[in-house]
Amino acid sequence: MKIMIKFFTILFVAFVFVSCSDDDNGPEPLAVESKTATNIPAPQTGGQPTSDPIGGPFTKFSFSTGAVTTSETEWDIAFRGTTIAVNGGAATGTNDEPERNGEAGAFVATGTFASITDAASYTFAQDSDSGFAILTGSDNGWYNYTPFPVNVISPIPGRVLVLRTHDGKYAKLEILSYYRDAPAEPDGMADEARFYTFNYVYNPNEGQTTLE
Amino acid sequence: MDLNKVFILVFIGVLGTSIFGQEMTMENDSIPIEDLDEVIVTATRTLRQLSSLPLPVTLISKTQLQKTGVIRLDEILNEQTGIITVADESGFEGVQIQGIASDYVLILINGVPLVGRSAGNLDLSRLTIGNIKQIEIVKGPSSSLYGSEALGGVINIITETPKDGDLHGDISYRFASFNTHDANINLSQKLDKLGYSFFANTLHSDGYDLQPETQGQTVSPFNNYTFNGQVFYDFSNRLKLFASGRHYQQQQQADLFVNDEMFEGDSDIDETNAHLRFNHKANDKWALEYEFYYTNYKASEILQSPITDDVFSQSNFDQNLVRPEIRATYTFKPKHALTTGAGYNHENLDSTFFDEKVVFDSQYVFAQYDFFPWEKLNLILGARFDNHSEYQSQFSPKASANFQLSEAISVKGSIGYGFKAPDFRQLYFDFTNSAVGYTVLGYNVAIEKVQELETQGQLTDILFDLSELEEPLEAESSIGYNLGAGYAMGNVKLNLNFFRNDFKNLIDTRAIARRTNGQNVFSYANFDRIYTTGFEMDASYSFNKQLTFTAGYQLLYAKDKEKKVALERGEVFARDPQTLQTIALDNSDYFGLVNRSRHTANFKVFYDVPQWDFNINIRINYRSKYGLFDGNGNGILDDFDTTFVDGYALANLALNKTFSKKYTLQLGANNLFDYKDEENIPGLAGILLFTKINFKF
Repeated sequence: MKIMIKFFTILFVAFVFVSCSDDDNGPEPLAVESKTATNIPAPQTGGQPTSDPIGGPFTKFSFSTGAVTTSETEWDIAFRGTTIAVNGGAATGTNDEPERNGEAGAFVATGTFASITDAASYTFAQDSDSGFAILTGSDNGWYNYTPFPVNVISPIPGRVLVLRTHDGKYAKLEILSYYRDAPAEPDGMADEARFYTFNYVYNPNEGQTTLE
Repeated sequence: MDLNKVFILVFIGVLGTSIFGQEMTMENDSIPIEDLDEVIVTATRTLRQLSSLPLPVTLISKTQLQKTGVIRLDEILNEQTGIITVADESGFEGVQIQGIASDYVLILINGVPLVGRSAGNLDLSRLTIGNIKQIEIVKGPSSSLYGSEALGGVINIITETPKDGDLHGDISYRFASFNTHDANINLSQKLDKLGYSFFANTLHSDGYDLQPETQGQTVSPFNNYTFNGQVFYDFSNRLKLFASGRHYQQQQQADLFVNDEMFEGDSDIDETNAHLRFNHKANDKWALEYEFYYTNYKASEILQSPITDDVFSQSNFDQNLVRPEIRATYTFKPKHALTTGAGYNHENLDSTFFDEKVVFDSQYVFAQYDFFPWEKLNLILGARFDNHSEYQSQFSPKASANFQLSEAISVKGSIGYGFKAPDFRQLYFDFTNSAVGYTVLGYNVAIEKVQELETQGQLTDILFDLSELEEPLEAESSIGYNLGAGYAMGNVKLNLNFFRNDFKNLIDTRAIARRTNGQNVFSYANFDRIYTTGFEMDASYSFNKQLTFTAGYQLLYAKDKEKKVALERGEVFARDPQTLQTIALDNSDYFGLVNRSRHTANFKVFYDVPQWDFNINIRINYRSKYGLFDGNGNGILDDFDTTFVDGYALANLALNKTFSKKYTLQLGANNLFDYKDEENIPGLAGILLFTKINFKF
């Protein structure tokens, strides 16, 4: 009996040793990042209320740095007014759009932010000459527009953007506000528009799709 | 206004009048507020005693109209249990009955319908009450008799008829706040065979401005005129003629400010009704009615710059309805009657937003058997068939029963089908918003217009297989259930009615294509299913026929069934106002449809002092909070919306004193405590003081 216990102890110790050494051989996985980006400016020229064509550069954002970037290649998504471009696919034909040179894609999922836990099950669309991956227009993509009486762009509750980044990693994003400093009840006449505030979760590990 | 104030005032008022009342000596010539032999015609298209009818009916008598000092139909309807007028998302006002919107309520004058709706709403302030004998409101579906639009109920305005050989009439003038002038003249005489009446009304108001800091007035100044002439001729005891011509016209100033530039103009309405009817009593059994009706409703608006004369917008609306109808009633024996009818409806509409004048034609037949299989049980069975040129035929049955449990108590119930034909706008609209760039298309023109836009390269996407749109749009329909009981004994009257209305195929807009500018092309489709349910209760008690208290209450739940399913599945979301993060909602967060108050109530006191030829009344109407629109983008009104309007009560007061039996002086105040909600209720002007002199001969 004693021999038996000893034998198992050795076996156990050996197993633990082997497992540990196995782990030590690979790189430490990076922590999934859960952050809030505030007041990302998204200016545009033209469009409502003028009749001039919409234009101006997009504001590009990178998940790996968690910040706005001017890089022509190291960006994932980009904002101009209510339009969101991804760094994947082809030009849509709008003025002043950035060149897509990555493999980014997007899917507009429905649910609470927490309920979207994995990116594996989604089919990602890319920008193309038939339109943006994240559809534009009220009620089509991420926002709706209430002209009367408030004149407000509101992010549709329950819309979560699930994204593949330009280098094939995954993120999810929930837009909280389109107005500077994210007022709880924006006033379209008084509050300054074209400032995005959003929560996002980014998994920096190559090949991992989990988003929690 | 503080509700407490209202109740304190009522309490003092009641106390005062009660004490006052005890000092009075009784007199027998006092006028009862409600007549004992009240009869109505709307429920069955035959004269029927109100108390034995198996349907929920509200009757507003001429006495009530006169004592309260109201001048327009919407004012008096707002004081009835379960009936309110509300402005919907379009900003136009209409009546709501049992939580059912104005689109689904039929408005009749002497049994024939009014046309001319703005976004589905028929503006009841168009109708003066100056020559009305009584107003009959039958709640619940009545399509079995009246066809389209009679889902939520029917409001029938019955005009006054000449009484005797002397020339009778009254002339009145009323002056009120906001520089409001209302004048009436009524003349009538019934000679041997010929009777006639003439009525004219004019109303002017300067309107009002709830938000002087913004440009333009809340309600702009307006003038309107109503003329009504009627002729009655008895060819014999068996053949009688009724002919009526009515004309209404209104001019209202219109203005619009776009980026500080002003545009102004006029908004005009012209309405004409011509109604001809022969009543033919063929013999003791057969009574026939031959009816011909024509009405025209025109509305036009022009806005232009006063400096450059540039026209900013111009719109026209011109609707015609022609309807011959024949009805026959066969009386088997007293209280057993079969009524049948057949008619033809021709409607056309020419509007700025239609390609061309559009035409509807329909034919219909109906039958109704009203009988007492047993002394205490009244049954009314009816059905109607409508054949229409533009949508599917409709069969509308209805059954109702009244059981006299005892002398005082009766139990009544009814089930009926109601429908509303898709209207001209839903079928033929062609409108593109020039500022935002979206397009709305009527169902019948959608395929053609979408293909047109597609060939012009204006579309990025067509969201539906267009062949889906080849199936005709279906009529909106409902099944209404009413179950109630009435108690009447001595000075006490009680009425209770439970209702449920299940609607299906409601027509709403949905996006069918996407434009290159990112905006949508919308068209109409049948998709919503809603219900309204609750109960209504009326109670009245009178002391000595001099002092009468009445109280009414309605509880209402009005919800969208699809939304309830989506909520159950956790597919509806809102944003937490603190974190702005999405949370999933459930049914306990769902408030219901817009513009519906859960509770509405009224309380009225009428006090008569016959020996002084004096009477006074105070009426208080309350509605609890309601939502204006979905403000948080999830398609429903929920606890996280901030678009609710607070509940409020309005108190109206009127005093009448008659001199020499001929002259009546009236003083009063509507909205006595000056309640206003400038942001949310532009239709509520604040206190309106009025005085009126009436000369009767």
